[in-house]
Amino acid sequence: MTKIFSYFNWKAQALGDHAIQFYVPEKMDPAMISEIKCFHDFIFLQKLKEIKDIIPSYHTLTLIYDVELLNAPLDFANDLIEKFASERKTDVATSVQNKIIEVPVCYDENFGIDLNSMSTKLNLSIAEIIKIHSENIYQVYCLGFMPGFAYMGDVNSKIQIARHAQPRKNVSAGSVGIAGAQTGIYPMHSPGGWQIIGRTPLKIFDKDPAILSKFKMGDFVKFYPITLAEFESLNQNEF
Amino acid sequence: MSIQIIKQGIMDTLQDKGRYGFQHIGIPPCGYLDYLSAQLANVIVGNPKEAPIFELHFPASCFIFNEAHTICISGANFVPVLNYKSIALNTPIQVCKNDTLHFMQPLLGKTSYLSIKGNIDSNAWLYSKSDFTSQLKNNDQFNIIAWDGDIKKNSDKTEEQESQQYNIDVIQKHIFNSNEIRFIPGPQWNDLTNESISNILKQPFNTSLNSNRMGYTLKGPSLQLIEQKSYLSSAVTRGTMQLLPNGEVIVLMANHQTIGGYANIGQIILVDLPKLVQHKSELPFRFSITNIETAHSEYKQMQKCFS
Repeated sequence: MTKIFSYFNWKAQALGDHAIQFYVPEKMDPAMISEIKCFHDFIFLQKLKEIKDIIPSYHTLTLIYDVELLNAPLDFANDLIEKFASERKTDVATSVQNKIIEVPVCYDENFGIDLNSMSTKLNLSIAEIIKIHSENIYQVYCLGFMPGFAYMGDVNSKIQIARHAQPRKNVSAGSVGIAGAQTGIYPMHSPGGWQIIGRTPLKIFDKDPAILSKFKMGDFVKFYPITLAEFESLNQNEF
Repeated sequence: MSIQIIKQGIMDTLQDKGRYGFQHIGIPPCGYLDYLSAQLANVIVGNPKEAPIFELHFPASCFIFNEAHTICISGANFVPVLNYKSIALNTPIQVCKNDTLHFMQPLLGKTSYLSIKGNIDSNAWLYSKSDFTSQLKNNDQFNIIAWDGDIKKNSDKTEEQESQQYNIDVIQKHIFNSNEIRFIPGPQWNDLTNESISNILKQPFNTSLNSNRMGYTLKGPSLQLIEQKSYLSSAVTRGTMQLLPNGEVIVLMANHQTIGGYANIGQIILVDLPKLVQHKSELPFRFSITNIETAHSEYKQMQKCFS
C-alpha cells in the first residue's frame, strides 16, 4: 500500500480525557489551511457519533469526543490519520473551493483609533498603512475568541504590530484590527487587545442559524476602503 | 403551569448539556457548570438527566410558582426557603400555587441547581437551551411542559429509594468532601520549570473571586515556563489549565473561548470539574496527576448513579 501524500506528518495526542488533538509542527503557514480543511472535512463527512466538535486551528485539528462512546481515543485517532493518508486524493487543493469575500472598511480615525500611534511606531503615513492593509488578499486560518471572529493572514510585515499590552475594556462591533501577522474583525462589542485601524459596516455574526458566521475557515478576504458617508449608509451593526 | 422570577440574581441562567457542533466558528459550548449536581436534581424529580435546569449563583434569583409543581434543589447549599420555611436539598419538594422560593446564604458550594418536573419552555438556539449571552431577569416567566410519553415515576418502593439515597450520597461526597483535583498533563507541561512542576503538585491552590462561567482564576504559587514564548492558538476545552504570562492559572469552564494561545499545561478531568466549580475561594485544594483510563472509568462510574 502506498501513501500518496504524506509530507504532512500528522501526529495525535490526547488533550485530557475528552479531546484529541492532531498536530503538525507549530508554524503559521498558509499551505496548512487547505490541508487542515481537508482533514476537517474528511472527519466531518463520516458523521461519527463519538465526535461532538471538530475544531481547526493554525497547526492543529481538535476533536471533542463523548467519553461514554469512545474507549481508546489514541487508537481511534491514529486510525483516522491512517485512513486520511490512504484515502485522500493527491491534490488536496481541488476539494477546496474558496470564495473571495469583499469587506468594506472605513479607515476614518474615529474608527481606526490606533492609526495615529501606529503611524508613529511603524514610521509610515496613515494613508500607507491603509493602502498596505487593503491591497492584500487574506485567508481565514481559523475562527475563535468569540462567535464569528476570523483569524486572517498574513499581514504585510511593514504593518505588523504587537497587540496592546493592556487590552481595551470595550472594542466596538465591526472593528478591524491587527495583531502581529494576523488581521481580524470583532463581530460584537467585546474587550480586546488588537490594534484597531478601522470599522466595517457589515454584520460579521448573525444569530440566525441559517447565517451565523460570515467567514469560514479557508475563505479569502479582501478589504476595500470606504468613506464615512458610505459607512453610515451600509451600517448593519448596532451601537 | 409556570414559574416566574420575582427578583433576579447576579448571574443565573438556564442551562442544559450544552451546544456542540459549532466550536469551529467560535461558539462556546456553554452548558451546566457542575453537570453532576444538575443531573442529580433532574433525576430526583423524574426528568431526563440532561433536561434544561436553572443554574443559580449567590445572591440567587427569587421565584414564584404559578401552579403546583415538583421541584428539587441540588449542588451548592444556599439555604433555600419555601415561603420562608427551610427546605431540604436533593429531595423532591411539592410546591403549590403562589409559593415563593428564596435563597438565604451561601453555606456550601458556589453553584446551585433548581429542577422542576417537566420541560422548561424556552427557545433553543442551535439545538440547545443553554443561555450564552443572556441571564434570568426580573419578571421572566417560563412555562413548564409535561414530557411526552412515559416519565419515570418517583418510586414508592423502599429499596429503590434507598438506592437513590445511596447515589445521592456518592455524588455529594465526591463533589464536596474532597480537596484533591486531578488533571492530565497538557501539551505544554514539559515547558514548565522543574520548580513550577513541583509547586503544582505540592503547594495548595485556591479559586479566586475572579471566577465565572468562562473560567476560574486560581491563586497559588506563581508558575513559570522555562523560556517565555508565544504559542500559535489551538483548541481549548472545559477543564483546560491555561498559564497566563503573569504566572497565574485559569481553568476554562463552560463558556470558554474555543481556541487559545496561552500555554496549555494540563486538563482537569471531567469527573473532577464539579469539585472545582463548587470550591469556595477560602478553601485550599491540591492538584494531582492522573491518566485517561482512570478519568474515563470514574466518569462512567459516576454516571451509573443516574441510570
